[in-house]
Amino acid sequence: MTHTLHRYGTAESLENDYVIFAIAAQTVNAKGKAPVFGEFFNIVEKYNYVFCGDMKTGNKYTVGLESIREGFRDNSIVHAVFTEKEEVAKVLKELAEADLGLSIVVSGILDHVDECCRKAGIKRHTVEYSLGIHGKTEKLPQEDELLAINTMCGHGMIAFNLIRHMVDKIKAGKKTPEQAAKELASQCHCGVVNPTRAAELLKELVK
Amino acid sequence: MIIDQEKCIGCKLCQPYCPMGAIEYLEEEKKCRINLDECVECGICLRPDPCKKGALYQQELDELRLLRQVFSNPLVPHKTTSVPGRGTEEMKTNDVTGRFKRGHAGVACELGRPGTGTRFKDVEKVAMAVAKVGVTFEPHNPVTALMVDNTTGKLKDEILNEKVLSAIVEFDVEIGKLSEALTAIKNVAPELDTVFSLDLACRCEPDNSVPAEEIARSVGFRPSINGKTNVGLGRPLAEEE
Repeated sequence: MTHTLHRYGTAESLENDYVIFAIAAQTVNAKGKAPVFGEFFNIVEKYNYVFCGDMKTGNKYTVGLESIREGFRDNSIVHAVFTEKEEVAKVLKELAEADLGLSIVVSGILDHVDECCRKAGIKRHTVEYSLGIHGKTEKLPQEDELLAINTMCGHGMIAFNLIRHMVDKIKAGKKTPEQAAKELASQCHCGVVNPTRAAELLKELVK
Repeated sequence: MIIDQEKCIGCKLCQPYCPMGAIEYLEEEKKCRINLDECVECGICLRPDPCKKGALYQQELDELRLLRQVFSNPLVPHKTTSVPGRGTEEMKTNDVTGRFKRGHAGVACELGRPGTGTRFKDVEKVAMAVAKVGVTFEPHNPVTALMVDNTTGKLKDEILNEKVLSAIVEFDVEIGKLSEALTAIKNVAPELDTVFSLDLACRCEPDNSVPAEEIARSVGFRPSINGKTNVGLGRPLAEEE
């Protein structure tokens, strides 16, 4: 149902992980919205985001910012990842003032996002909860950090084995955690992985 | 996906990229090969271009392989949605569409996520379990399009053994039936050969409370501290009943 829900992790780790994205309703207000996504992007770019991408084009690492800017369409879904809730509050305030008409969704610690909304002078409309992972959970890896990195890409484009492969590369001194995190994040077409958080999680896995 | 056996040199560089672990190394031949029963046609192995010999290639897909692809490759939109990926707009545009109204909740059970994959026989088990409660399956969801009967949740027989990266059983339920629907999901979980991630969406009340949260807790679920919030900036706002 959603590509930014179910981000697994400890409270301490999730405190540094927020995604803001914009989308138009295809059956209601999408027509002609392509340039409005540009206005959204201009706003988020003023703040300290760590990764971004458009579902229709690709992410900052694989296609670059120019391609993202030039590729907005009426059915784009444009994302930016932040590590500080204070930045999220500022972005929301400016988005509310800009009144773009796009639906804006924030993924992150729900109480923090509610606090950001209050600071921005807006009221939450709809909330979506993750009720966890169930079923045959013995099929999942045992390392929590591995699951935390994998679940940042809700489309499942970062294989558990690729994360293990990167851990081996770091241990062998062939990559830094930051380089490995960037390579993992580039797998996420939408640009919703948090590479800063991923690097910290990789450091834990290397230990 | 296929690996051209003539070109493959058995370097195994492609192996880590496969989320299903479907790339096998053949010791005797010293080559890699795709296990097509496990391959979900997600295209993830091809995207970073790990094969320096050009051995990996996307073969022509028949109807069932295309079904795998549409549920596994997020760059391929399904014909029932304009949204890329296997999901729908769900609560993302609820401020404008009014899809989830007060007095209702949206539930999505995403089988195969995280990183495990699912066969449609498990998807059917969940769909049939919640159908008995009297839920309304989301009409634009690709899984709903595969049902032969929306009142029972039964899927087409010919697809039941097909494997995909994930598939979402998505429905709207009256808030009074939510605990029954969540309990049905809880009860069917031990019968599945895969994992699933469970979502619960609900319109906020005027006092900013979210009634579905307490109901989920009452039947033994513990909502994560993090989730998604539609902040209500979409225009025009959906009319409230």
